[in-house]
Amino acid sequence: MTSPTLARELHADDSDPVGLDGIEFIEYATPRPQALGQVLETMGFRPIARHRSREVTLYRQGEMNVVVNASAAAPVDSDGELDESPRIAAIALRVRDAAAAYRHVLDLGAWAVPTHVEVMELNIPAIHGVGGSRIYFVDRHREFSIYDVDFTAIPTVDQKPPALAGMHWFGIVQYIGNDRMQDWTAFYSMLFGFSVLPDDQRFGVMPKGRVLVGPGGLRSRFYVQLIEPEPGILDAKGTEWIARIGLGTPDPRACATLLRERGMQFAETPHVHTDERGALTRTQLGSVVFELVRDA
Amino acid sequence: MTQQTGRIDDFGMDTISLAGPLPAKLRAIREAGFSQVMLSARDLVGHAEGVEAAITAVRASGLRVTGFQVLRDFEGLSGQLHEYKVDIAKSMLDLCAAVGAKVLLVCSSTSSHATADRDAIARDLRKLAMLAIPRGIRVAYEALSWGRSIEEFPAAWDVIMRADMPNLGLGLDSFHMFATKTSLDELQWLDPERIFLVQLADFMWQEIRSVEERIATARHFRVFPGEGAHSDQVAQLVSRLHAQGYRGDYSFEVFNDDYQQIPLADVARRARKAADWLGEGILRRSVPLPNSMRLQALG
Repeated sequence: MTSPTLARELHADDSDPVGLDGIEFIEYATPRPQALGQVLETMGFRPIARHRSREVTLYRQGEMNVVVNASAAAPVDSDGELDESPRIAAIALRVRDAAAAYRHVLDLGAWAVPTHVEVMELNIPAIHGVGGSRIYFVDRHREFSIYDVDFTAIPTVDQKPPALAGMHWFGIVQYIGNDRMQDWTAFYSMLFGFSVLPDDQRFGVMPKGRVLVGPGGLRSRFYVQLIEPEPGILDAKGTEWIARIGLGTPDPRACATLLRERGMQFAETPHVHTDERGALTRTQLGSVVFELVRDA
Repeated sequence: MTQQTGRIDDFGMDTISLAGPLPAKLRAIREAGFSQVMLSARDLVGHAEGVEAAITAVRASGLRVTGFQVLRDFEGLSGQLHEYKVDIAKSMLDLCAAVGAKVLLVCSSTSSHATADRDAIARDLRKLAMLAIPRGIRVAYEALSWGRSIEEFPAAWDVIMRADMPNLGLGLDSFHMFATKTSLDELQWLDPERIFLVQLADFMWQEIRSVEERIATARHFRVFPGEGAHSDQVAQLVSRLHAQGYRGDYSFEVFNDDYQQIPLADVARRARKAADWLGEGILRRSVPLPNSMRLQALG
């Protein structure tokens, strides 16, 4: 139940119930962190800090933070095999007030994720997202760095490596099960104030599915693209996950050229190829894909 | 797939109709020719070798899980009671997901602690539906004929509309509809896409005179469709739902003390007879065209 004080705050802006202000970090889980680190470095990210107590590394470029977590156990697939390909395990959202946002979404029916915080570590509130992923809430990101508490800077490394080609967070692409479009739309719109973009409004070279746009200003706004199985295909397992990250850049062609020089490969097929709207990397390590999208 | 198997696939049995341990129930249901089963939480958690073994037994049975029952007295509570029920709901949703059930059945509250305020009820159901979204589960809300404030399906439909969640829909139970003598004409206001489950059962007498008798009849004296005093109404119900576009599952929700005392195969045979009567005599659904849907490879 919403407390009276909270209600006053939240009713101030129903369209932006948690005061969304962009993505603080995206977390990958992988048992092979160095291989993923190489892919991230090819994309322009730099390792800048290590976790004090766990096998976790922080990568950064420009405004974007990526956490690579090797301390989580790899999930077991339906055949009982360990699935060792990297997966996007969490997204941390910048919000106006993390505690208030957390209470708000729990009131509406989000699942709290129990946190296991070690001594001197930050307790970041989290809820369950798609698949086994989590959604964190982080506030006061302008006042201090959450990483200063849990991470130790890697010596001699620039702590603020600039973004290549103006890259910044654009959004996430989520694969969903059959007949799940309305469910996930309700999830993002009710909990966070996302709204559905008209079907004729698409970005980049991968226009399928439905695109939800988050509330907030242009600077921090991000998108969630929901993609169902192909029509006529019944996905019996109904597996759902965050399939890839979208990176905004003012000039996708130039960005792709730059990244090619660094060793990244891009999909060039009759269906998907690099153009002025965007580009798609080839799948790395069995699961890692980045999409470039034109966005100033 | 033959015409006949196409029809039997529309119907399923409920484990609550059978005595004995879960594996024996699953076997009896499958051997009677059914391809789906409605699971009672009790049958899972009461398994002699534990919940994990129960989940394994269900998955190994080859039966599709129609749904999972039942979450009771969830809505309309406040404070600690509400928090408690949310915890119970989460445990049931976890079980649902573990056993591959796509539908959780929720009965309207009978609790004297629950409010009758429909907006409050809708808010709680909206929360329950939100809890179910990451698990990929749909919530079927059913009007229990002795519910405190929601006792007929039009009232349940009203709060479902107020809650306005895509994964919250109606669970219809013919027993409760007949017990309250709710007009089948009310069905016309329903969106068939939002009927998530239809449970069928009949009983042996024409009228139920009191709430107490209603509860006793519901819990001990239900029979399979075709065996009771309302066969025409069952047939009408199924025909109307079909005409309106309902293409979901039918499950036999038959609580009967006698059926708890006769061999499982005998009960399952009675259920099969009901399915044959409804499927071939009344419903006559067409079977899906071969190859109209491809199944994604199970990797």
